[in-house]
Amino acid sequence: MAAERRATVTWNGDLMSGSGTIDEVGSGAFGPLDVSWPARTEEASGGMTSPEELIAAAHATCFSMALSHGLAQAGTPPERLQTAARVAFVPGSGITKVALTVQGSVPGIDEEGFRAAADAAKANCPVSQALAGVPEITIDASLE
Amino acid sequence: MPRIVREASLAWEGSLSRGSGTATAGTGAFALPVDLPARVGDPGDKTSPEELLAAAHATCYGTSLAGEIARAGGTVEHLDVRCVITMDEVGDKGHLIVASDIDAKARATGIAQAGVDEAARVADESCPFSALICASASVSVRAELAS
Repeated sequence: MAAERRATVTWNGDLMSGSGTIDEVGSGAFGPLDVSWPARTEEASGGMTSPEELIAAAHATCFSMALSHGLAQAGTPPERLQTAARVAFVPGSGITKVALTVQGSVPGIDEEGFRAAADAAKANCPVSQALAGVPEITIDASLE
Repeated sequence: MPRIVREASLAWEGSLSRGSGTATAGTGAFALPVDLPARVGDPGDKTSPEELLAAAHATCYGTSLAGEIARAGGTVEHLDVRCVITMDEVGDKGHLIVASDIDAKARATGIAQAGVDEAARVADESCPFSALICASASVSVRAELAS
């Protein structure tokens, strides 16, 4: 069955001096969240989120679910996975890189097995497939 | 232009079907519980990767549309952008994100509906997220000039 998820955003004014708000999402889990072009494209975000940070959260979540599933199917379910996603954005060029790092607490698996499971999750999770156009997606996996 | 890096993390405990996690923004803008039932069934009050992508695409497209309307000579007062992301099971490929549909309403001066239509099309080409996801999912955009 298809799952639909929605979000609504309001933007006021022009790109450079205007600002926006992620007003609400279908689940009600977050919002309103402020966004602006300077906060998106300068080193200091001022605590504001951005499309790139939301993509990072989506990818870290999707990857972790896929890895949890793959490890369980191999008979070594994880106790805990700690994943970070870093999304690089170059204005004018787009999203140029996603770097995933994961540390796992997984009884009964060695480093090599964990890295192989992480590689498979990176290749197959739905968000990885949606982001297949990103020039570089990397994974660094290690056991705790 | 500078390379900007934004980070989020996810702490997951347990199996896929019974486990749960928390997605945390590097900026501190959000910390959100996630689990599988909320992703593939009734979301309840929990977010999901697809909802986070919907928020990302609505934001990314909205900023592009604001830029393109200005480039076409219009002045943006207010944009409302709604994005719906659809994930579906596709044959033997499992779950895939199959569509992202954008619906925008623009309150702007100095531009007619035809100009907004063209700005909406160009914004889809210039939006970094549209550019990525259009390779694997259908992307539709529609923008209407509101009075």
